[in-house]
Amino acid sequence: MSNAITLSALTAWVREFGALIDTHKDELTQLDSAIGDADHGINMDRGMAAVLAALDGEEFPSNAALFKKIGMTLVSSVGGASGPLYGTFFLRFGAACGDAAEVDPEGFAKAMRAGLDGVVARGKAEAGDKTMYDALAPAVDALDDAIASGSELRAALRAAAGAAESGRDATTPMLARKGRASYLGERSVGHQDPGATSAALLMRAAASALG
Amino acid sequence: MVGIVVVSHSHVLARSAVEIAREMLHGRGVDIAIAAGLDETTFGTDAVKVQEAVEQVDGPGGVLVLMDLGSAVLSAELALDLLDPEISSRVRLCAAPLVEGLVAAAVAAAGGASLADVESEALAALAGKQAHLHPGTDSAVETEAPVAAGEPEVRATFTVTNTHGLHARPAARLAAEVRTLDARVLLRNVTTGSSAVPGSSLSRVATLGALAGHEVEVAATGSQAREAVDHIVALAARTFDEVEDDAVTSTASPVDGSGRADPSAVPLSGTGRSEAGETPDANGGPYPASPGIGIGPSWSPGLAALELSDDDLVPGAEPAVEWRRVPGAVAAARREIVHTRARTARELGESDASVFDAHLMLLDDEELLDEVRRRVEAGESAPAAWSGAVRAVAAELDALGDDYLRARAADVRAVHDQVLSVLLGRSSEFEARDGVLVASDLTPAQAAALHRDVVVGIVLAYGSPTSHSAILARSRGIPAVVGAGEDVLAVPDGTTVAFDGDTGRLVIDPDPDTLVEFKTEAAERERRLEEALQVARQPAVTRDGVEVHVAANVGSVTDAEAAAAHGADLAGLVRTEFLFLERDSAPSVDEQETSYRAVVEALDGRRAVVRTLDVGGDKPLPYVAQPAELNPFLGVRGLRLALARPELLRDQLRALCRVAVDHPVSIMFPMVSQVDEVLAARRILDDVLREERVVGGGHGDTDGARSLPGLEVGMMIEVPSAALKAASFAPYVDFFSIGTNDLTQYALAAERGNDALASLADPLDPGVLQLVSAVCRAVSGSDVRVAVCGEIASDPVAAPLLLGLGVDELSVGPYAVPEVKQAVRELDLGECRELAGRALAAVSASSVRALRSP
Repeated sequence: MSNAITLSALTAWVREFGALIDTHKDELTQLDSAIGDADHGINMDRGMAAVLAALDGEEFPSNAALFKKIGMTLVSSVGGASGPLYGTFFLRFGAACGDAAEVDPEGFAKAMRAGLDGVVARGKAEAGDKTMYDALAPAVDALDDAIASGSELRAALRAAAGAAESGRDATTPMLARKGRASYLGERSVGHQDPGATSAALLMRAAASALG
Repeated sequence: MVGIVVVSHSHVLARSAVEIAREMLHGRGVDIAIAAGLDETTFGTDAVKVQEAVEQVDGPGGVLVLMDLGSAVLSAELALDLLDPEISSRVRLCAAPLVEGLVAAAVAAAGGASLADVESEALAALAGKQAHLHPGTDSAVETEAPVAAGEPEVRATFTVTNTHGLHARPAARLAAEVRTLDARVLLRNVTTGSSAVPGSSLSRVATLGALAGHEVEVAATGSQAREAVDHIVALAARTFDEVEDDAVTSTASPVDGSGRADPSAVPLSGTGRSEAGETPDANGGPYPASPGIGIGPSWSPGLAALELSDDDLVPGAEPAVEWRRVPGAVAAARREIVHTRARTARELGESDASVFDAHLMLLDDEELLDEVRRRVEAGESAPAAWSGAVRAVAAELDALGDDYLRARAADVRAVHDQVLSVLLGRSSEFEARDGVLVASDLTPAQAAALHRDVVVGIVLAYGSPTSHSAILARSRGIPAVVGAGEDVLAVPDGTTVAFDGDTGRLVIDPDPDTLVEFKTEAAERERRLEEALQVARQPAVTRDGVEVHVAANVGSVTDAEAAAAHGADLAGLVRTEFLFLERDSAPSVDEQETSYRAVVEALDGRRAVVRTLDVGGDKPLPYVAQPAELNPFLGVRGLRLALARPELLRDQLRALCRVAVDHPVSIMFPMVSQVDEVLAARRILDDVLREERVVGGGHGDTDGARSLPGLEVGMMIEVPSAALKAASFAPYVDFFSIGTNDLTQYALAAERGNDALASLADPLDPGVLQLVSAVCRAVSGSDVRVAVCGEIASDPVAAPLLLGLGVDELSVGPYAVPEVKQAVRELDLGECRELAGRALAAVSASSVRALRSP
């Protein structure tokens, strides 16, 4: 497979995600302070720092093993709802990638879809609830479409990242129906959702690391 | 048993919630694990921790998981995915509110309830609070779905097959089922053509008058209407889970069909055990708890004289305020019933305990509470309204024309009395009467109020010989047996009861021969006691010429007077907690000095070994801020607390030093495990002595003006590590006093007061004796003395062992002094040493106890 994504590329994606979270943690926390409990940036940064530490010096035999480690680390270190949500995303993603040490673009898209399904199963979020789903779902759709129409991986990931960012921006006028923000009701309108923001970073990281 | 897992963002919140729940358990064990916070201080939840917590408490009974909000729910759900499917299949995530749900779940789990029942208890846990805050609203007692117009209705009919019809217990079962579902259920007796009543209301279901063979129609609406109807029909088909024996045995008393009494019911004439004789030994009880023979007519506290006086009929406040008394009283009664139910379930089984479900359901009964509220609003007082409304329900049941149903009215009356006694403020106080007090258990306050001149004996259905009530009974000199089993509660007042507090033998309604036997034994002991009393003031010298100090444990001036009157050589343990408990601020130095002086003066020149304040998280003082502790007996207590709050200790030492100027006083520090603790306490004492310009005797002299040659300093040994390190402590103390009650509890990891462990927590366990021996060996040849001030010191089997191990002084309840002295006089120390050597090598407490028998 000439265009297969290697294990080290996948690792680079996760490292890039960690770096983006680190750069944006204040922004994420600020967004969360408007409509949540002001910890999304701190929580995600703590989680991703733990992930990066776990990746250092450890060799992973397969995609599944790598993402199991990532998922379980997030589950145990994030603390907030993003822990089980991102944790589930990566666990399902890894399981769908299988026991190989690389994955082709179609497989990658399928794994993204599996991860997204995991997030839905865990969070029971629907489109328009003002959650990470609103960024992740359009991204996965765009990725599927692009790959199905024969796009290069690089272009497909850019399309996905762009869709995630549009989805993220679309959360601003939404009324939160899940999570801590839902307690605010109408007052949640007018604020960008922090979860959708970090999900967009995940896709942006994929575009820059894998593209 | 069902295990419980608490998932929260906050470790502190979870720990405190568990603490609150444990308060309701009264020492009964429920496996509760916490998965909360990323660490002690960082908020967050962790699915892996949840997984581990579930694994920790998992068992065949399953696990109920309670969560706070947000990620707690997600982490718990993820944990289910992470768990072994075999385990996760018996885990339920419960939507109940965390604190209320946890308390309800813990109580239900302790009672041996099934996972489904524990969950439904938890889910219903908000009912009390809702009823309190929003009385009379539809959501008050349960969460019924509002009936939407045109909502589809599901209907079915069933035929009642229970021999005695749909009486209180099956009705309770039915109502419980309805409450767990999101459905509004109406029932109608088709056979009698009754009107429809809500299925969630126990009192209303009972008024259907549904007898065996009657046809009942169920109509349900709401999202779970179908389930509700199916469940009810299925329940009816299995006779509402009534055991057939229960269903067919006819009885005209609140005693249920199995012959066991409902302890909270009002006994009717002829109630109770039909057979006299020895009480059954199924649970290992009764246990001897306080020595002596008790013979007399039985009487039980409470439930008597609940007539309303004219004053009770006048509302104390406007209706809205007056009404608030009712939910409060209902909640208090509920706590009592839940407690009794859990005990019954544990000791007699779930079927026997289920009678209390009917009582609890009545307390939740929306219709009934509405009626009470209506009466209050019409101007009645809370007691009058409660009494009137409940009596009306009882009368309705009475009027139904069925013997069995009429008898069920007794359940209603029992609940009536229970709540009314709370409303009238007669819940825990009772007038002591002549004879043998028979009760489920006593609070220490109740036990403390009893006098041996009136109460000739105490028989408790529950409790353990090392509980505080038992200790108080001993210090009052009232014979007692505990753990006698629930059956004793059915004994009608006035029945003759005879028991031996030394052996635990208990006979209800003894035949003449047995009675003579007890009386002869009592007379013989009386004679021996008289003899002992004659010579009580003389020293106790063993046959081989060694004098043993026999001291008294004292907690009040009355005790001190008794100690002097019964010839105690000294007061080996003067408790000071009485001065500190049940008040809003710490006693001043002057107040303490006055109190200690009164005790010391009552001792008439005898030395007083005063223990500094010995409390902990189990008895929090309002003026000492203490964080809640998961296990206060292993927490900040005794000297640990005193050193954490040195101003308390300083004041107490100052008061004691002032008394020590003109009386022989020893100061004793409790709950010591480190040499540094003793040194720190001694430094504070030195400071106080310097400030008071006096000089302490014994160790640790410093410069000063007046001398206190009689002041001694010692420490308790309750912690096993302190016993093993006695040699390290010895340079800093004049004496050790071994508190065998706590030492036993800590050494055997068996909580005192837990009746399930009564036979385990025996201070004669060779392990405990080894610790006593270690203390004695450490100071052998020095002038540091060793006393034993635990309950065991007065055990005739234990005294020779303790002396043989090298103990110099026995400190016992004041009334036991003469007999212990007599016992010492019959001993030969050489023989005691030989006996102690064999005891140290024994394998169990029971083999130690068997040593003396030839």
